[in-house]
Amino acid sequence: MSLEITLTVNGKTHTAALEPSTALVDFLRDTLGYKGVKLCCNTGECGACTIIMDGKPVNSCVVLGLDAAGADLVTVEGIADGDELHPVQQAFIDTGAVQCGYCTPGFIVSLKALLDRTKSPTAEDVEEAISGNICRCTGYTKIFDAVELAAKRMS
Amino acid sequence: MAKAEYTVLGTDMPRKGGVERVVGKGVYGIDLNLPDALSGGVLRSEHAHAKIVGIDTSEAKAIPGVRAVVTAADAPDVRYGRSYIDRYILARDKVRYMGDPVAAVAADSQALVKEALGKIKVTYEPLPVVVDPEETMKESAPTIHEDMPLPKNLPEGVQVKNVCGYAAVNIGDAEAAMSEADVVVDEVYETKMIHPQYLEPRIAAARPEEDGRLTVWANAQAPFPVRTEVASLTGLPLNSVRVISTGIGGGFGGKGSGVTSSAGLEPICALLALTAKQPVMIVMDKAEETISTTIRSGCKIWIKTGAKKDGTLVARQGKVVYDAGGYSGFGNQAGGRCTQMVGGWYRLPNIHMDGFTVYTNKQVCGPVRGPGGPQATFAMESHMDSLAAELGMDPIEFRLKNVPEKGDGIVGVPKLRDSSLAETLNTAKEKIGWGKVKLEKNQGIGFATGAWIEGAGPGGGAVVKMNEDGSATVHIGKVDYGTAAPFGIPMIVAEVLGISTDDVTVLNVDTDASPWDAGTVGSRSMLVSGNAVKLAAEDARDQILRMAAGQLEASPEDLEIVERQIQVKGAPSRSVSLASVCNAGHNEIGDVIGRGYFDSKASQADERERGSSQPFTTHAALVEVDADTGNVKVLKYVAVHDVGFVVHPKAVEGQIEGAAAMSLGQALCEQVVHDGDGRTLNPTFVDYLMPTINMLPRIEAVTVSGYPGAGPYGTKGAGEIGSVPPMACIANAIYNATGVRVRRLPLSPENVLRALREAGK
Repeated sequence: MSLEITLTVNGKTHTAALEPSTALVDFLRDTLGYKGVKLCCNTGECGACTIIMDGKPVNSCVVLGLDAAGADLVTVEGIADGDELHPVQQAFIDTGAVQCGYCTPGFIVSLKALLDRTKSPTAEDVEEAISGNICRCTGYTKIFDAVELAAKRMS
Repeated sequence: MAKAEYTVLGTDMPRKGGVERVVGKGVYGIDLNLPDALSGGVLRSEHAHAKIVGIDTSEAKAIPGVRAVVTAADAPDVRYGRSYIDRYILARDKVRYMGDPVAAVAADSQALVKEALGKIKVTYEPLPVVVDPEETMKESAPTIHEDMPLPKNLPEGVQVKNVCGYAAVNIGDAEAAMSEADVVVDEVYETKMIHPQYLEPRIAAARPEEDGRLTVWANAQAPFPVRTEVASLTGLPLNSVRVISTGIGGGFGGKGSGVTSSAGLEPICALLALTAKQPVMIVMDKAEETISTTIRSGCKIWIKTGAKKDGTLVARQGKVVYDAGGYSGFGNQAGGRCTQMVGGWYRLPNIHMDGFTVYTNKQVCGPVRGPGGPQATFAMESHMDSLAAELGMDPIEFRLKNVPEKGDGIVGVPKLRDSSLAETLNTAKEKIGWGKVKLEKNQGIGFATGAWIEGAGPGGGAVVKMNEDGSATVHIGKVDYGTAAPFGIPMIVAEVLGISTDDVTVLNVDTDASPWDAGTVGSRSMLVSGNAVKLAAEDARDQILRMAAGQLEASPEDLEIVERQIQVKGAPSRSVSLASVCNAGHNEIGDVIGRGYFDSKASQADERERGSSQPFTTHAALVEVDADTGNVKVLKYVAVHDVGFVVHPKAVEGQIEGAAAMSLGQALCEQVVHDGDGRTLNPTFVDYLMPTINMLPRIEAVTVSGYPGAGPYGTKGAGEIGSVPPMACIANAIYNATGVRVRRLPLSPENVLRALREAGK
């Protein structure tokens, strides 16, 4: 039994069919083609599939696709302004925070959500915002650097 | 360190491919779009040790939409392995761990794959299971491999079983020297299995082509070994297999050397595609990976060292039992390296070590980041602290008393050309504030040194092809997962050719086009591909300068390339553009194609002659132990490294910080837990704890310079050595804070609290 839903992703309206059991991450990747949303743990632990859903960051692997009916989503593909990178994206490049880059979309989305909430986050705010994102390459040091650089450039 | 004579080297050029990755356009294996591909999946053993009595696939095959069901009977009777050739891609006759692949299915959808896997009926006859590496060596233990002999080099009279590797260190006369020591410390240490837990799941895809060839896509670190293994294990000629490397989301050795690291995923996928005569793609589930792919082994280490009253080391004896798992995998290599490293890297004239790598009914050892080294160092450097305490010496002074110097030999290195160990110790002491920082109650500082001996190993090639606009296209055999390929490699090409890194494209590995390479493993990207690409770029430059010499009426030696202009040295107005020469070259020599190869044999001969410069490190940690909960908080962490010449500072720091973080995870929380039946109790990320940003301090990576290594411009490998000291470093800091030594990993709240309680604290 497949059902049809309508939702907005990065400002674009999509109407598509899905099975009731389909996770939002699979719907976004396989049906709508947003492959910047990364698949990993399927248990909501690693943050690689983080998207912004109605203003809040969520792990799209533990959200049913059906729950996104009528929702307004932002994925990593919708964060840059055309060719102009978001300060967080540019800072990840400038500080060497991108190694393999697989966790990067999740971090960028989590941080974008944080910076949408507050323009001058404290170190605790940053830790809290990305404590659900796992990176195995960097040891987080360069990610800290990236957040600081982005916040400085935005203020 | 950046040297003035270089234009590109020593700068922090943005990562190649960085923009794609931050906007979500980075394409990884999991993003591969293969039209009309079937979904594939693997049936894994539910027993840790059992005979396979029969496999009935008829019901699975009868499901509409199921296109292929394969078992060992469908594959050639060929095994694979490293030192022990002991494993089939699909288990034949017996399964040896819970997760061993038994059958595989390709079908029109993932749901059909799952359904079909559930319909395959395997009849097992369960056998006794052994998960403890010490138990498995006993005569009473079940035999895991009936037809595998004990190692040929096993000393006479040693009564063991299930041993698949033996390594020894014999230097001087340890037994006699031990009796002359003033102080002897004898300890036992234990480490647990961890999984590398790269974030991108393993994938494999295979497509039979119209001409009879097979194209394989793999997110593996070593595409050429994958090609060899796909060919031999499916029965195809080597030249009928083409392996294309996808983008890779982490690996850390877990996606290492072909099938040795991937539980045979690529050959299984190839077998499915050849059977179905259609493209097939397999994506592993993370929990499936945790129970079935390769890991950093647990091990038990006995270490006994004697020293004189003044702190001079005189003798060491010890033993390592290293858990290979159900198959030998990388166990012999990692266990051997572990055994050597327990011998240490200090001046120590008398050492005897025995190292046994053993089969158990658990998942298989792989070449995970610094294979064998972090475990050895947890024991060896904790033990050095115990010795310092017993001698009543400062831990830094005790180590400095015993550091090797220029001309000394250490285990695995006959002659050192120089030694940076003392400098890293002194720098770490300074940076952490040893003796200066005021420690609060339950706070402590710990140090641990490390080494990662770069030695013999395969060579590898590079090709630099010039385009008519003066840009360069580079072929190497190393993959891009955020190490040298997108950082140091393009910088070397740009430096040699007088162009910008924007003008350099480093291609992904395609075995039909790329030069052969053993893989992106062993901290060898700069050593192998860096040296090769430097020679290839120089070869291309020489061809260009020879052609330009005629136009500029100068000899090639008098020319240089600066910012895409070829000019006469000292007379820059006499110049011609690089592009015009490359373009004109089409009518003279064809494409300018430079070729280079890292000559491993020549490099080793040179090191024998002149001695070798090895990377050394010291890490320092400031921790606070919660005496009520056993929780350890790392407040400050400094990692001082000699990695020779630094081509890209941020990339090198990133390698050090990431490697340290992975072992800090093993120090504080990570472990794969098995029950007595060999079942993994924590396969998902819900139960398998890894460090998050709020668990770790900002790691301060510091490099010391002046000790050039065997890499291009004097680089040394930086990818693994950072993972070597952290476990001992944290254990030593806990000892400094509490006076209690924890000899068993992880240093988790429960283990630390137990140790504190046992010590009456």
